[in-house]
Amino acid sequence: MSTITIDRIRKSYGAYAAVDDFSVEIPAGTVFGLLGPNGAGKTTTFKAMLGLIRLDGGAVRYDGEPLAPATFERIAYVPERSVLYDWMTVTEHIQMTRSAFKGFVPKMALELLTQFNVDPRKRVRQLSKGMRTATMVALAIARQADTLILDEPTSGLDPINQRHVLNLMINESARGATILFSSHQIGQVERAAERIAVMDRGKLALEGTVDDLKYGRKIVEGIFPTSDVPLDEFHRDTRLLRIDRDGRIVRLLTKEDATAFAARLEGMGASGVRIVDLNLEDIFLYAVSPALQTADVVEGA
Amino acid sequence: MPAVLTIDPRSGVPIYLQLIEQVKRSVALGILQAGEQLPTVKQLALDLTVNPNTVAKAYRDLEREGVIETAPGRGSFVRADGAEGSSRAAAGDVARDAIERAVREAKSVGLRRSDVRDLLEQALNHWLPEEA
Repeated sequence: MSTITIDRIRKSYGAYAAVDDFSVEIPAGTVFGLLGPNGAGKTTTFKAMLGLIRLDGGAVRYDGEPLAPATFERIAYVPERSVLYDWMTVTEHIQMTRSAFKGFVPKMALELLTQFNVDPRKRVRQLSKGMRTATMVALAIARQADTLILDEPTSGLDPINQRHVLNLMINESARGATILFSSHQIGQVERAAERIAVMDRGKLALEGTVDDLKYGRKIVEGIFPTSDVPLDEFHRDTRLLRIDRDGRIVRLLTKEDATAFAARLEGMGASGVRIVDLNLEDIFLYAVSPALQTADVVEGA
Repeated sequence: MPAVLTIDPRSGVPIYLQLIEQVKRSVALGILQAGEQLPTVKQLALDLTVNPNTVAKAYRDLEREGVIETAPGRGSFVRADGAEGSSRAAAGDVARDAIERAVREAKSVGLRRSDVRDLLEQALNHWLPEEA
């Protein structure tokens, strides 16, 4: 088990800041979901964690130690794009992985490939995109590594195999592995991850446990008799992340204490006051969406 | 048994709270009986495809509330001693949440106290008529 510390990492490509002062800690033994729109910096972060790119600043540490050759034996990585060799068979990839990593269990890789319906005699060029993803996942899981870094490990897979990948992650987690993964399928993150971070334009937009975020974050909505009710007191409240006014309708996005805000709206004369639960997709979209014209954004997230 | 527990990950309700509610409901309905063994944390996590720590958290809360008990090395069981009491309490919890949701909803669409009382009265008369 490794605690992974990503400490203020920065990486620019020319004038483009792909990752800009991003920090997050992944506690040992957790399943951690990294979310973000395309281009948010997720893949760059994964590459930095594996030493595949040179950072402009900051550091990645495993149990407090910088990445060293010995660390690689403990980390299994599934990249976003296939790194399999087109002209080689799946069996040859198993042999290659066995010679590269001591902990690799070829028999487990073969079992997993059978579960994914991948014929190991096939050459990679004969495999669909989903089958390639499944092959990389099978090779990574069979490494029985301490740490799994999975960049879109379900992309291109059918729903049955997507579910199977999630269950493999859950199984690895129950074994004690630390798992960091990204996915655009937020429902999957909602199931498998206990903590998430949202990246947006290279920066951390939001971090927390899925349960706490869903438990605390609510929209509190009320309708006022007029469209000019002063909302100054809400602007000073640090629990509120966002205040939207749409004519007579006022919507508050709060981190906590939704019932207290509902009571306050009612006390100010609002009717039709309701509290709306947010799922992870709503929370994600609020964290990364630019301010609406009508919104007074209190804080980025 | 796990078939009676389902979760909706897209709901705004945290998964561990959904699990707690469902176990209580199953106990209240007698689907889970006193002394019955619950699946292990890992097994339920795999059956439902949810994070094992989420299941563990739900089990811990259920234990604290006296609905289940855990025997080290043997697993988690519906409490035998308090099965009746805990199932009644569990039924109360499930019903209270549902009634509170309904009353909140009625209020948010602008019903008055007397309107809501009439509706509750009608529902009671329909579903739980007074015994002769």
